[in-house]
Amino acid sequence: MATADTTRGRAHTDRPRGMLIRFRARPAVEAGPVSIAVSYVIVAIIALACVLPFLYILSTSLKESQLLFQYPPKWLPIPPYFGNYERLLFETPFPRWVLNTLVVATAVTAIKVVIDSMAGYAFAKMQFPFKNFLFVFVIATLMIPFATILIPLYFTVRGLHLLDTYWALILPPLANPIGIFMMRQFIEGLPSDLENAARLDGVSEFGVYLRIIVPLIKPGLVVLAVLTFLLQYTSFLWPLVATNTDEMRLITTGLATQRSVWQVNYGIFSAGAVMALIPITVIFLLLQRYFIAGSLAGALKQ
Amino acid sequence: MTTTEGARASGTAAAVATPFAIELVAVTKRYGSVTALSSIDLEIEPGEFVVLLGPSGCGKSTILKVIAGLEDATEGEIYINGELANYRRPKERDVAMVFQNYALYPHMTVETNLGFPLKMRGSRKEDVAREVASVASLLELTDQLKKLPEQLSGGQRQRVALGRAIIRRPVAFLMDEPLSNLDALLRVQMRSELLKIHRRVGRTTVYVTHDQVEAMTMADRIVVLRTGLVQQVGTTSDVYSKPANTFVATFVGSPQMNLFAGRIEGAVDARKFVSPAVSLPLDRSFSAHPADAPVTLGIRPEDIELGPADQATVAGTVELVENIGAEDFISVSLGELTCMVRTAVHGAAREGERIQLRFPPHVVHLFDEAGQRVERQAQESRSAPGPFPDLSEPKEV
Repeated sequence: MATADTTRGRAHTDRPRGMLIRFRARPAVEAGPVSIAVSYVIVAIIALACVLPFLYILSTSLKESQLLFQYPPKWLPIPPYFGNYERLLFETPFPRWVLNTLVVATAVTAIKVVIDSMAGYAFAKMQFPFKNFLFVFVIATLMIPFATILIPLYFTVRGLHLLDTYWALILPPLANPIGIFMMRQFIEGLPSDLENAARLDGVSEFGVYLRIIVPLIKPGLVVLAVLTFLLQYTSFLWPLVATNTDEMRLITTGLATQRSVWQVNYGIFSAGAVMALIPITVIFLLLQRYFIAGSLAGALKQ
Repeated sequence: MTTTEGARASGTAAAVATPFAIELVAVTKRYGSVTALSSIDLEIEPGEFVVLLGPSGCGKSTILKVIAGLEDATEGEIYINGELANYRRPKERDVAMVFQNYALYPHMTVETNLGFPLKMRGSRKEDVAREVASVASLLELTDQLKKLPEQLSGGQRQRVALGRAIIRRPVAFLMDEPLSNLDALLRVQMRSELLKIHRRVGRTTVYVTHDQVEAMTMADRIVVLRTGLVQQVGTTSDVYSKPANTFVATFVGSPQMNLFAGRIEGAVDARKFVSPAVSLPLDRSFSAHPADAPVTLGIRPEDIELGPADQATVAGTVELVENIGAEDFISVSLGELTCMVRTAVHGAAREGERIQLRFPPHVVHLFDEAGQRVERQAQESRSAPGPFPDLSEPKEV
């Protein structure tokens, strides 16, 4: 048994027992077989609960519409039916919607990462009149529900003749202040001595931001980028209001147009959802290593 | 910025003729209602190693930041190499700073960290590489050039921080407690390395520390600060042997100087110090000080002698004997006060024992009611110091 082996193994080591041992994290193998089994079951249930909706959508996307409501339900679509994907790709402007979504989400993300980190740096490290008032003012806009500004925003964008353009989809989300708040918190945690050292080394104020601050807040920038991208990728209400033509729709609003008054084709919806998941999953997998912070190690005395 | 006329006049004069590497003229720094520095005047010669010494919050790091341009002086003038620097940006002041927590750029290798100041000043790649190699060799960092700061030990990081300062050959180095977080052994080692490098590079250095041993072993001159005010400027022996006031007397020296509050009594030719714990005859060099004036008598622990009872001795009970190897520290209770004695003789006293402490009159210090040093009169230096007051030629000054 694992436990017995472990105990015997430890008895042979020269490691002194006492304080040193007590401060170490106990290895998992020390737990009894019952508690290990219970923890596996709990973890498996949670994992299943998370994965099940995805599997259901995948399964639905591979079924013909008349099979969706049969009883008892058929979980595995064998043989798989690719008609939903075919219809979506060739009978709707779905590829265009994906392109629009990627263009808008990428543009908003790129611009937001730049302006939010710059604004965050200014609020965190620079001194200027009314700094605190301005920061509170910026943050206060978080508390305004989007529904209340939807109509004024619509009239503003219409007045600027931007309706049904990329600009209508890109500009309004840039005003979301959550990124500024996030970046300010990240940058505030950086020691001022690093900036001061750079200033004495001959770096300009913008250089301090670009050469010192930006590399150090990379994990924060990635978090902001992923969150912003996700938010844009899944946004619905504003794109629905701001676009009229099929060519300018995003994935979310485009798929919504596939729903008629009397009938909803869940197969098409599911196929759209599965295909929409692919780019976002790839992006997330590529960037997930940046989520692990720790870039400051070695900068300062421990 | 508001500047006093006097300060401006003296500053301008200094700018014309000054040989000083750094000069502060009536520099004051306030943060709202809090005054961090009060009218600091300081002149630092080229090549000098000046240590700013004081307890936490005394304003020593603020002085460095004001010199570096990282903080603006509220009042007063700063001259670097004889030129007014108040309105210059940090990078235009030609000073380099070593920070308390090194402030190495964590995303750059040692090589890039060292070369960064030169790169930012537009030096050519080949020049940067040559200088980096030379500084790395001086600081024994050649093998570490490709490493990131996180891969270095504390001492190596400290040397990289120093190298980044040295590499651009500034007018002055400003060092803000660079050794404070190293362990005791490494600190002593780095202290002597720093001094060697200073001697080799020969640049003006302003060094901040709260560690008096560091200050006394490294400094050409020490500036003792307290609550933003300069208490004393002088060489190590000036500050130790002739403390300007009771603060310097107790801050410099370990164990600190023993102080006894009392008053002067007796005729001009037979002045006596009287206090509840200690009463002693004073030598004639203090005869100018008025009788009945409240004073504080100070004596260094190593100046107290253990000996038989006479008119210059005080009786006390040994509370504690600490053997620190080379010496014994003896705490002696004198009624409500405790007096510290430092002696090289081991076993000179046992705990609980009653002993006689001799306060040789020529080594005691007197401080007036405001805590300022009372200087001895000149004739004292002509006569040989002795354990007893010379009462033969009373002289009113």
